[in-house]
Amino acid sequence: MATATLTIPEPVVEIKFGQVGIAQLKLKRLDPDGLTAELAEKMATAENLFLRTPLVLDLSHLSTLPDIDTVRDLLARIRSAGMMPVGLSYGTSENDALARALDVPIFAKFRVAPERAPIERAPAAPSPPPRAAPRPPAREPASTPAPAPAPASTPVPASGTGIGMMHNKPVRSGQQIYARGRDLTLTALISHGAEVIADGSIHIYGALRGRALAGAQGDETARIFCREFHAELISIAGQYRVFEDIPAELRGHSIQAWLEGGRLMIARLDAGKS
Amino acid sequence: MTETIVVTSGKGGVGKTTTSASLAVGLAQRGKKVAVIDFDVGLRNLDLIMGCERRVVYDFVNVIHDECTLKQALIKDKRIETLYVLAASQTRDKDALSKEGVERVLDELVKSNFDYVICDSPAGIEKGAALAMYFADRAIVVVNPEVSSVRDSDRILGLLASKTRRAELGKGGVEQHLLLTRYNPGRVANGDMMGINDVKEILGIEVIGVIPESPGVLTASNAGVPVILDTESDAGQAYADAVARLCGEQRPLRFIQAQKKGLLARLFGS
Repeated sequence: MATATLTIPEPVVEIKFGQVGIAQLKLKRLDPDGLTAELAEKMATAENLFLRTPLVLDLSHLSTLPDIDTVRDLLARIRSAGMMPVGLSYGTSENDALARALDVPIFAKFRVAPERAPIERAPAAPSPPPRAAPRPPAREPASTPAPAPAPASTPVPASGTGIGMMHNKPVRSGQQIYARGRDLTLTALISHGAEVIADGSIHIYGALRGRALAGAQGDETARIFCREFHAELISIAGQYRVFEDIPAELRGHSIQAWLEGGRLMIARLDAGKS
Repeated sequence: MTETIVVTSGKGGVGKTTTSASLAVGLAQRGKKVAVIDFDVGLRNLDLIMGCERRVVYDFVNVIHDECTLKQALIKDKRIETLYVLAASQTRDKDALSKEGVERVLDELVKSNFDYVICDSPAGIEKGAALAMYFADRAIVVVNPEVSSVRDSDRILGLLASKTRRAELGKGGVEQHLLLTRYNPGRVANGDMMGINDVKEILGIEVIGVIPESPGVLTASNAGVPVILDTESDAGQAYADAVARLCGEQRPLRFIQAQKKGLLARLFGS
């Protein structure tokens, strides 16, 4: 492609989800003294292996979940044996509550999600696909959540037609347009403070001054095309970028945005013609 | 046929009431029968600008609550035969208005063969503003050339496109016009103020008038004489142009170029 790719300055923070080796301590029965004795024995046989090793405490093999004080005691015993408990594993909802009370994490592989009441697959929580972990921008961490809020007020036409949704009027400040399960084409301007959201790609033939969120349900192949770029925020499949200042190379130009290896890329469509 | 025009803006203090008064006078001067209604219940000002504050006996809320007839509450203007003012109540709040009540009053004005009903909206997007725009056929969005006013106007334009009777009935929404007020060509030329084209581009609708920032506006307001009656002032003339455009005439925009300094002014440097 003849378009010049503009690299986006790297944010300060990068969060990656990956597998790291970590010891799991399965407690087969509640016997604190037995635990202390066995851990001391292990430490004596292989001190290099066990000293300061991080481990996750797995309480799932106990018939009843111990109370918070008992668990505190267990953690203290593990710690005094020389190992470093960093959290709990295996999530039941009680276990999750226990972890919250202790202010330690539940390890992701065993999160409580399967046990919870099924979360409705609404656009309210467009889940980014597991591989594309959200990368919080350095500048405004709290003020702009990546997933689009549910556009409750927008009348959504019946979904699943497979044909893109067409919107021919200006989208004004405070309005939201959502194309469920399809592409969204907009022929007029999108003002500051307006939001256009689609599960597929977004095509904008007017000026984009508000926000555009494509791939709202996590479709990483979705793209955003825009004839006149002044956006406040764009997002594809949860990867987003806030434009506090629009780079001069992009401002007012026609652009497209897409995901490449989990990174949000923006390029001018009219490169060379400036 | 009666045409209902709402004068609205979102933001306060941009010149809605000044505009309502001048448009009403301008249309009435052309022989149209005009009623101008103050929807700003609790903060009534229109009567002051129109110079009829001492003649308010009954008001809009009284009519809505059947405490008087519409005829009793309409204040006939002393200058122009065909112009009437319906004042807001100062002692009540916006909750005193109801959709049914407003509709009934507007229907009665239609039956009384008014050509135009001008609804002077309060600031904000709450009940008073919502009711002022709900029954409108046309909207004049008053905007100052500065960013917060432009953004609020954008919000109002969105509401006009969705929260009005015409929009709900699928009649294609309300016809929208932009009226720039407090325009200072000198500051625009210096880059201190947004220009007409900036505002037009952001809001994407046509401009029906540009009213220059003018000392005449304040003088007129304080005197209770709508500024359009001051034919000497640039603001008055600009309002007359806007009224002409509202009636379908083509007129070029005036007072939008910075005044060149005269030779004397340049020599003495002020």
